[in-house]
Amino acid sequence: MLALALPTGRVHRDALALLTALELPTGKLEKAGRSLVIEEGNYRYLLAKPMDVPLYVHYGIADLALAGSDVLSESPSSLIELGDTGRGRCRLVVAGPQELSSRFWSHESAIMGLRVATKYPRIADGYFAARGAQVEIIRLNGSVELAPLLNLSECILDIVQTGTTLKANGLVVLDEVAPVSLRLVASRRSSQLHWREIEKILERLVHSRKEEL
Amino acid sequence: MATPAKNRLPRGCRAVGGAKARAMERCRRLFMSRFSSFGYHPFLPSGLQLIQATWERLPSSLRGRTICLTSPFGEPCCLRADLTLAAVAYLGAHHAPQERPLRLCYAERVFRSSPPPGKNFEGTQIGAELLGWEGEGADVEILSLLIRFLISLGISDIIVVLGDITLFRRVLQGIPSESARRLTLALQEGNLSDYRSVVRSLPSRFAAPLEELPFLKGGAEILDQGERLFGYGSVATLKNLKENLDDLGLGDRIRFDLSLARELDYYSGPLFDIYGGPSGMALGGGGRYDTLLSEFGILGQALGFGLNLESLAEASADESRSPLQAMVWTGGLKASQALDQAQRLCDDGFEIELSWQPSEIDSRRLAMLRGFSRWIDLGTRRVVDIATEEIRPLDDFLKEEL
Repeated sequence: MLALALPTGRVHRDALALLTALELPTGKLEKAGRSLVIEEGNYRYLLAKPMDVPLYVHYGIADLALAGSDVLSESPSSLIELGDTGRGRCRLVVAGPQELSSRFWSHESAIMGLRVATKYPRIADGYFAARGAQVEIIRLNGSVELAPLLNLSECILDIVQTGTTLKANGLVVLDEVAPVSLRLVASRRSSQLHWREIEKILERLVHSRKEEL
Repeated sequence: MATPAKNRLPRGCRAVGGAKARAMERCRRLFMSRFSSFGYHPFLPSGLQLIQATWERLPSSLRGRTICLTSPFGEPCCLRADLTLAAVAYLGAHHAPQERPLRLCYAERVFRSSPPPGKNFEGTQIGAELLGWEGEGADVEILSLLIRFLISLGISDIIVVLGDITLFRRVLQGIPSESARRLTLALQEGNLSDYRSVVRSLPSRFAAPLEELPFLKGGAEILDQGERLFGYGSVATLKNLKENLDDLGLGDRIRFDLSLARELDYYSGPLFDIYGGPSGMALGGGGRYDTLLSEFGILGQALGFGLNLESLAEASADESRSPLQAMVWTGGLKASQALDQAQRLCDDGFEIELSWQPSEIDSRRLAMLRGFSRWIDLGTRRVVDIATEEIRPLDDFLKEEL
């Protein structure tokens, strides 16, 4: 039996749709209610907070998982990224008030000490370090867009799907950090010991991606 | 009374006791005994290594994980992050180049920070190195000894996943260096999305073997597929290994992963990962390497492996208490008499712990707390089964059990 860790929240519906496309059983999963472990056919599904999903694979509780590329970058674990599912697409961006734009794109000395609110401190650190700027990163767990409004930070680094929330809070995209999508990942151990089962799922994923393209 | 804060260890450190420490010690003893009896000499390396002698020789993935400090003599050092390097340096300094092959085995602590999300920087590793010899003899020797050792520990479902780094090097030939670098990075990091996107950017003549490489995992049938893809003789080393291990009755433990690629600047031939226990725990790995040897003036290649002793203890069969382990109550005997009798029990094969408690009840309670199944009263010479409370004369018990 293969164990798959799945994210709850924003991308849960995308993950379910993908499992259906990959011909994996999802009947019980659709009606999971408050259950967090669901066994169906030859699969055990584990429902976890998106940021925790990679850890379930890293520690060998799950063989496979669907996790956002943002989460994989933020929560580093020794995993094998088998493929990009092309689903759950959004963008990881730096956003702030329009008036910050010219300062943001001038010499790095102008953004030294910038206060950045984010759910992704590791990615933010990497992004600003690559620009040669030392910034103050403020770790938040949600409603990140509030931070510049309340002067907690000068800008944010967060995911954006349509941009509506940014606009509603008077923010504009200052830079695109990375595109985000749902990835199929496995542990190194499972990819070596259960490759036959994993390969079938991967082949279906590659096939479904080709059809979509 | 000490506060909890005063008792705690520094973050990232490990102290192991109780049943796990007993299991680890059992694994360590068995390992050293088995490999020593096959000509592997025990090795006790220094805890510190000079940075100038270490840095460039460490596998690249370890460099950023070492713990650097200054010795009391003011020399820049690092805590021992890798035992292979220490073993090769020792042999290079203490043996002439023609004295080969050289064999070492060790069970020692290593200090290196864990890749995220891990936090520990301290662990115990057991391992062996066969230096200065190449070819299937060395490979088969190390792998067969290793598998037999794991079997002797009672570890179930032992799987050795074998690959060969030369296959990946072969498919990289002719590929532009930047693409080769990105492919290597993607494969080592396990990022097949990036790997595929680089492959798609290459001319079609390179694409076929590269596209199939990550899929070549499984049983011996994979080797034929690999040979078709990479050319006749390309998987001969792996085939020879499998054939020899089959002859030794160990071939059913072998799987193949032809995309196994780690430390390209370090390994030079077959390499392997080892799994075992009911949950298929990762136990360690190893492989063939050569660059390090030439730097120390040793001829030929080398093969070695390292296993995490704590994982090994977790995966091994639970033999924490055998019937011949007992708590021995001195039962009011004079100390010298009690020790004399206890020594005789040890000479008969018992592993004992003496209890000097004045009260029998306290002594038996302690035996239960310690997890013993037997309690022996030297004063009345009786044995008590802790679980059933069955009492037998010690002399009868010795006749039956020994």
